[in-house]
Amino acid sequence: MDKILVSPNPHLHSKTTTKVLMRDVVIAMLPAVAVSVVFYGWKELLVLAVSVLSCVLIEYLITRFCLRKASTTGDWSAVVTGVLLALNLPPTTPWWVVFIGALVAIGVAKMTFGGLGQNVFNPALVGRVFLLISFPTYMTHWEIPQGLFGVDAISGATPLGAIKEGLMQPGATVQGIMADHGYSYSQMLFANIGGSAGEACAVAILLGFIYLLVRKVIKPWTTLSILGTVALVSCVFWLADPSRFTDPLFNLLTGGLLLGACFMATDYVTSPMTVKGGVIYGVGIGFITLMIRYFGSYPEGVSFAILIMNSTVPLLNNWFHQKKYGRA
Amino acid sequence: MAAKSNLINMAVCLTAVCLVCSALLGGMYALTAEPIAKANAEILKASIGSVLPEGGELSDAMPIEVGGQPSEYYVSKAGDEVKAYAVKSTTVGFGGPLTLMVGVTPDGTVYNTSVLSHTETPGLGAKCSTDERFFSQFKGFDPAGKILSVKKDGGDVDAITASTITSRAYTLAVKNAVEAVKNIKGE
Amino acid sequence: MSNRKFDIFAKGFFKENPTFVLLLGMCPTLATTTSAINGLSMGLATLFVLVLSNIVISAIAPLVPDKVHIPVYIVVIATFVTILQFAMQAYTPDMYKTLGLFIPLIVVNCIVLGRAEAFASKNGIVDSALDGLGIGFGFTMSLTILGMVREILGSGSIFGWKFISGDGLLVFVMAPGAFLAMGYLMVLFNRIAKKN
Repeated sequence: MDKILVSPNPHLHSKTTTKVLMRDVVIAMLPAVAVSVVFYGWKELLVLAVSVLSCVLIEYLITRFCLRKASTTGDWSAVVTGVLLALNLPPTTPWWVVFIGALVAIGVAKMTFGGLGQNVFNPALVGRVFLLISFPTYMTHWEIPQGLFGVDAISGATPLGAIKEGLMQPGATVQGIMADHGYSYSQMLFANIGGSAGEACAVAILLGFIYLLVRKVIKPWTTLSILGTVALVSCVFWLADPSRFTDPLFNLLTGGLLLGACFMATDYVTSPMTVKGGVIYGVGIGFITLMIRYFGSYPEGVSFAILIMNSTVPLLNNWFHQKKYGRA
Repeated sequence: MAAKSNLINMAVCLTAVCLVCSALLGGMYALTAEPIAKANAEILKASIGSVLPEGGELSDAMPIEVGGQPSEYYVSKAGDEVKAYAVKSTTVGFGGPLTLMVGVTPDGTVYNTSVLSHTETPGLGAKCSTDERFFSQFKGFDPAGKILSVKKDGGDVDAITASTITSRAYTLAVKNAVEAVKNIKGE
Repeated sequence: MSNRKFDIFAKGFFKENPTFVLLLGMCPTLATTTSAINGLSMGLATLFVLVLSNIVISAIAPLVPDKVHIPVYIVVIATFVTILQFAMQAYTPDMYKTLGLFIPLIVVNCIVLGRAEAFASKNGIVDSALDGLGIGFGFTMSLTILGMVREILGSGSIFGWKFISGDGLLVFVMAPGAFLAMGYLMVLFNRIAKKN
């Protein structure tokens, strides 16, 4: 008789682990990181370094000393949070502000909820919003990129900020403001406008996004529904009144939308598990972002939109169950 | 432990309790009416006093239109001579209405300003009432010699960092008050 | 006997702390604790109303017909709150302005009516007074602690004395920070309570 080996399932093993996934995400973010360092110089490098090191350190300290168990920093999720947080901050953010952001991102948003997999809200965004409310002057201090060795800083508003503020003047129009500042689409695609470090170069972010798709780390539904919703809804408003509402291309390329749609909204833990859920999630994010940009007090709404939709994810997961194989 | 309810004792109880409580409240009101009036007068005097020169008798509030909205002003007189006007001026800030008390001397110069109420963002626009570098710019501001608008709009006022909208609203409120005083004297 | 009296008074501080254990009166707790002194004042104001209403309600409870006991208690509580309001307006106008709307809101503070129903209407005057004092001081203690935390983190000051120049973590001066601080203090409090 042949020997039959009996073992429990699963019987098929793949090479994917959390660490491998996270490493892929970090690789995907490298183009955006490289571009931001090239534009903003060593200041940006400092922000990145402080953010990543702080996130890892804080997770290590909390798991080892507060929770008295093995450290979870080996799964690289803290590294991902660190890079995302840094890309969401102005390059001129002081190091201690970055550290506080990391403390909140890992300590409050991630570990207090139970660690990776248990958090409801995207940790990097919680950190960023916490800093935005706590240090409004640092977090709204934007600069025009000066290059790798640039020394002189020129502060300037982001395009979204310029529009929001400009429109408060009576008689201002979107076209007028854009002409005043000399904005062009090629600028936004490739370079040289003020914003947080991750906003600078759309192409770099898109490269990373494609890498993640190819590596099968993420599925495109959520990202595409966000971008599609933004394009569609802004098109409607822009056609209705081009002097008060910015056009779809502008909205797609400015602010943290691409960074948010490609890297933050696709975070496994805080986004829905099913396709239908993911699409609804994406539509919600796109819609809320635009409403804040057009009608809200803040010039940029992506962070808030994603956090708000994060809170609906448990509900979406409840409504749309994953298919269970073997059942009707 | 409570008594059983029937129509009579419910009505009696409620009436009794309400009578006793209203008597107590009436008494308390009478006791505190004067101190309350005094306290309110002090607060008003303090907010107006800070924007007016010393001395001078303060008039009652008089209606006036400021920036197209109905508002009020006070006159500070020494004898027959008008020392200054205190004008309440409201504009729309970043988070809601911003109300200032602006002291203007008869020659059209701003004597001083103070914030009566605002709903601006803490750390940003809220600095309009705490950042001395900002609000002291308006002390003795002569609109004839300097332009009453923020530097971004071609004027001579330094805005609060990252709070242009609040700074603009504040400056506009001062400007409206100065214009309103011109109308008083024109009458 | 005196041990029992002491227990009635002491439970308001830890075992039945209205803020961190019973989770009552959250609205004024989160709204007025922007600084230590504001929290302290709100706590003391509530303490005043709580003790007096407990005493009066305990005294009249046997005489009040069952079906009208809620409106009667509310009228009593509202009377004391209004008396407090007049007094603060007259003698502490600055704190009156700071606490603003939350003074009349003491009437609907769950703690006050809650203690009236749960304790004062069923116990003697002295016990009810002690209960009011205990819960009231417990509430005051909680508000002051929460106010201190928010003030230190948010404005960099302790009871008005600033130890840094400029602002602190402004989020703690606002609503989100209140919830965050409250959450972590609850964790701390319950851990200490469990250990004892």
